Amino acid sequence: MFLAPAVAETGAVVQPPDKKPATAFNLTSFMLQRHTSLSQNIIHFCRYLRGKGFTLGVDEEITALKALECIDYSSRQVLKLALKAICCKSQKQLHEFDALFNDYWQELGKAVDAKVKTGPEKKIQTNGKDASFTSLKSWLNGHRNQETEEMAVYSVQESLTKKDFSAVPDDEVDELMRNIKALSKRLAAHINRRYQRDNHANIPDLRRTLRKNMRRGGELLDIVFHQPKRNRTKLVILCDVSKSMDLYAAFLLQFMYAFQQVYKRVETFAFSTGLQRITTLLKQRDFATAMQWVQGQNQGWGGGTKIGESLHRFTEDYAGQLLDKRTIVIIMSDGWDTGDIPVLQHSMETIRNKCRKIIWLNPLAGYHAYSPGVAGMKAALPYVHVFAPAHNAESLRRLGQWL
Amino acid sequence: MANTHQPQLNLTDIEQMLRRQGYITDDAVAMSVFLSLQLNKPLLVEGPAGVGKTEIAKVMARALQTDLIRLQCYEGLDATHALYEWNYQRQLLHLKMTEHDGQSVTEKEKTIFSDEFLMKRPLLQAITHHKKPVLLIDEIDRSDEEFESFLLEVLSDWQITIPETGTIKATNIPQVILTGNRTRELSEALRRRCLYLYIDYPDFEKEWLVVKSKVPEIDTKLAEQITRFMQALRQMKLEKTPGVAETLDWAMALAALHIDYLDRSVIEQTLGVILKDWRDTRQAQLSLSELMEKTGIISKIEL
Repeated sequence: MFLAPAVAETGAVVQPPDKKPATAFNLTSFMLQRHTSLSQNIIHFCRYLRGKGFTLGVDEEITALKALECIDYSSRQVLKLALKAICCKSQKQLHEFDALFNDYWQELGKAVDAKVKTGPEKKIQTNGKDASFTSLKSWLNGHRNQETEEMAVYSVQESLTKKDFSAVPDDEVDELMRNIKALSKRLAAHINRRYQRDNHANIPDLRRTLRKNMRRGGELLDIVFHQPKRNRTKLVILCDVSKSMDLYAAFLLQFMYAFQQVYKRVETFAFSTGLQRITTLLKQRDFATAMQWVQGQNQGWGGGTKIGESLHRFTEDYAGQLLDKRTIVIIMSDGWDTGDIPVLQHSMETIRNKCRKIIWLNPLAGYHAYSPGVAGMKAALPYVHVFAPAHNAESLRRLGQWL
Repeated sequence: MANTHQPQLNLTDIEQMLRRQGYITDDAVAMSVFLSLQLNKPLLVEGPAGVGKTEIAKVMARALQTDLIRLQCYEGLDATHALYEWNYQRQLLHLKMTEHDGQSVTEKEKTIFSDEFLMKRPLLQAITHHKKPVLLIDEIDRSDEEFESFLLEVLSDWQITIPETGTIKATNIPQVILTGNRTRELSEALRRRCLYLYIDYPDFEKEWLVVKSKVPEIDTKLAEQITRFMQALRQMKLEKTPGVAETLDWAMALAALHIDYLDRSVIEQTLGVILKDWRDTRQAQLSLSELMEKTGIISKIEL
């Protein structure tokens, strides 16, 4: 598979796509015809990259062709560097580029006479084996349960908010998700109201202006402006997505989703055995697709947990940049750590020193008989400012008071 | 978009130009700079702190013999700080002084909303500059998202509208360099408008060359030891990994002290130049023997 099924009109702008691409790197006796095929190959290459997840448009293709005019493209190295500079838009893409470039031109060499075939797109695999999570998974996959639509009776809602997420029957998951969505929107709007004056920037502060200019005989030389009070608080959410937690994580993330608008910045991470930043992902797609994608992407989703190591990764790679005294850190985990406990303590200390508040959400804390007996939880507790349950909709609502 | 004002440059020229200005570089950097000049596209440079991202812009300005205009981004930076402001105090005083001149209101208005009373901020400065300048937008990821979208608009239209006077079009389109530390993911739209360059910590050879060219008075052997030590240090898990800037500081400090080889006590005493976190310092002190072994310092003393 070396030609991705890409949209055809982009190629048509510059040149009609070639069915038989020529080997591009025997270019010592370079002629106009060769040039044409090279341009075509570059268009093809751009499409190939697009198929690999690069965000390339006609713009980049044109830029690439323009670049050909000012470089010595007979050298493969130079061509590679030039295309790299144009096509890559992030560090990750830079890493992938070399291999893709080599693959493409190698395939091209082999495929001089062969017909182009496109392989079937690999589908994201979802591991929907576990029966108790099937309903949630299917909800995430977008198969909305039609029957539940009619069940939106008030009494059902009432009882649902008190119900533990894991005990929610399959056919009510959809309903509950909608409840949580509405709830979080309401809470988010509530927080928002305190800062409504945001919209009016640069309103002169008359009182202070007059006072300040008294010493100049009343001539208004300096105008003082109201600095509209803005919510400068930032949120960092670290969500445990291991097997024991992924159901709760899905609900929490859905809940926090609405708060994106309220806070200056909300950063979301998923962790289990490794740590993954999913902020942009949640922003770009709608929630269900995003979650599905994370599941497909994160190998550890549903696996064991290494809280200490994941938090350590966070402190190393992100804490310096993301945490300051205006940041609230929310960690959602049950504290079942299969990793190193001292590492967990050390990381918690680092995070605590750098942020304003740590809120630890533990779904198990919702049970009356709960005491933090797990080693990981015990180790983390001294560093936590707020320890709260997050096992049902009611507890999520109460979470609102800490935010 | 071929540039008619500038002589046609080629890749080797750029490399030489950068080298002449004391910037040790590799192919990827040279190619990105070259293409951004040729295609008139902004260049987005990312990488860890202290690897010379900002330096690229400075060197480019010097190489093109033009001015560098710098816009330092920070949280809460807004359009007025980046574009222009009216000098209100001056306007007021001017009106006060000409109170009895008997000018009409329109005349007065015309004077106080003229260039004289306009305080140009970096973006407007860059647009109205008499010669194509290099515009450095430093640490763009520290600014807010609103500012980023505002910037997008300016970067694509190259004109700024001031309600009182009208629209100002760019006399020369500046050469734009944006730098980022990956504090925040930049928007896809901004990325797509730019060429992308990631600068990582340099390898031994490159760093050694940098040290030698920036600190020419340094002993050759010491330069090598310093570089090896820094390379080994970066392998450790540190809170704040030192960059090339720290290497240079250290090299300069040691050269100023007239030290010509590294030993344990020298390193211990000067560790503060390269490590700025007490936990890192402690960790480095604990594993100093190992570091020195990797650096090959011990074997040299034994000789």
